[in-house]
Amino acid sequence: MKTTKKINLDGISAIMYPLAFGIIVFLMWQGGVLNTLLHTDTNTLPPPSRINSIIFDNTAKILLNLKATIIVALIGLLLGSLIGYGTAIIAAQNKKWGSGGITLASAFNAVPIVALAPVMNNLTKHFSSNVDYRSMLAKTIVVMIVCIASMAVNAYRGLTELKPFAKDLMKTYAASNFTIFKKLLLPNSVPYVFTALRVSLPASIISALVTEYFSEKVIGVGRQIRENIVTAQFATAWAYIIVSCFLGIVLYVILLLVENSVMKNRKIK
Amino acid sequence: MAELNKKKESNPFVTLVWTLGFFIIWEIIAFLVEASPSIRSPEKVLPHFWKIIATAFDSKKINGSETAIQLVWLNAKVTLLRSAQGFFIGASIGFLLAILMSLTNVVKKIAFPYLMIIQMIPILGMAPIILSFTGDIDTSRVVIAAILTFYPVATNTLAGLEAVEKEKHELMYSYAAKKWQLYIKTLIPACIPYLFTGLKVSAPLAITASILVDTLQGGIGLGCLLSQSLKGAMTRYVFWLIVVISAAIGILSYLLMGIIEDLVSSHKKAERACKR
Repeated sequence: MKTTKKINLDGISAIMYPLAFGIIVFLMWQGGVLNTLLHTDTNTLPPPSRINSIIFDNTAKILLNLKATIIVALIGLLLGSLIGYGTAIIAAQNKKWGSGGITLASAFNAVPIVALAPVMNNLTKHFSSNVDYRSMLAKTIVVMIVCIASMAVNAYRGLTELKPFAKDLMKTYAASNFTIFKKLLLPNSVPYVFTALRVSLPASIISALVTEYFSEKVIGVGRQIRENIVTAQFATAWAYIIVSCFLGIVLYVILLLVENSVMKNRKIK
Repeated sequence: MAELNKKKESNPFVTLVWTLGFFIIWEIIAFLVEASPSIRSPEKVLPHFWKIIATAFDSKKINGSETAIQLVWLNAKVTLLRSAQGFFIGASIGFLLAILMSLTNVVKKIAFPYLMIIQMIPILGMAPIILSFTGDIDTSRVVIAAILTFYPVATNTLAGLEAVEKEKHELMYSYAAKKWQLYIKTLIPACIPYLFTGLKVSAPLAITASILVDTLQGGIGLGCLLSQSLKGAMTRYVFWLIVVISAAIGILSYLLMGIIEDLVSSHKKAERACKR
């Protein structure tokens, strides 16, 4: 009885402490204490109430930009993850050569994405004469490249780190390669896929925001942050920052929920 | 063990072949780009790799006083220095916070959810606002590099501190070890591999951050040079040289962390090789 009570207290304090901290920071921000601490005026760091009213006043415009960013980030994430998984499947066929390829793929993780954005802008100029379409394409390609590596590295581990003799067992069943993949490799790689997604989902949003800085067409949350800072409209920029943070958090929570429900089913099995 | 040795020997060779293969594909695409009639300026899309390297050794001065490689190197040095500064500040804060979080439950409970949230917030997207906070572009470069370095280091170190087996805690307790002795002798050595995992993630991030913030305002730094070369102030090959060099710096920073890890904990090298 005593232990359950203690756990409850633990659980409550685990929520209450951060919540209290958040509320204190929020109140300090609203009350202007944060401005004094950071030596900024209310122009560069406007109180939350003002940011909030800007978000509600410009809902239509913000949603338009948000849509552009979400499309780029999610399509890029999807394509990149598929390519990464495909690469991992190919690499897992021959471990000796495959692991070398995966090492090279992980090296791409270290390439600054900023360098990729202008390259893709130049490349897509030759694909389409429509600015909307080609700047979207350029941004999506950058996000895609960013997402490939983490998926390839993790899925490769998921496809190769099997239980001992699991593959031999499948062989004794005379299972075809496709059956082995469907029944053994694919389920085995699912947790690794989620590990990869937990890294590449925030990365996809960040790279979508960053490539927007360089893209031809002035659209997207990231571009709006920059445009508004350049024109010294900090309150509007803050509104877009808050929106981008919410986007990141909401998508991440959705991913965690999906992961939870998928993994729960597996545990019962 | 024999297999392990074999694997170790063949690895550099395989990587070498892959790297060569990558450059061969680059050259083939560059050749196709050059050959296709619709693309008027192939050097804007994808030039030959050897031409980029040739630019590096070109002795022609591009802005009156410096050759291409001198100019890029000058800027790269500044970028490296700034990201190194941010990296060290961020890594130390992250490490200290992880220790603090493992020491007191209250700090851990307060900080942990926020560490998770920071991970989901696009910090690089906030670069312009941090610039307007600090007012000084150099400070904001360091600050953003530090923020990006901070959370992989903090979360990984904390995971390392908590992964120490209960038996080790009990052993230290039976030795009547003081709290600081427990940390110095057991916990900190145990979390070193985790710390380096965090450092390996964040070293290229710190460099990306520094380059990105460069592009927001003029001055000196790889990112500033990058935006200048894009505007056509100098030959397009300078731009490509920057792309190649920033990629190389990113990869080298990752490798450097591995080398430092080997130096710091050489006794664990064999263990790591097994894990790989």
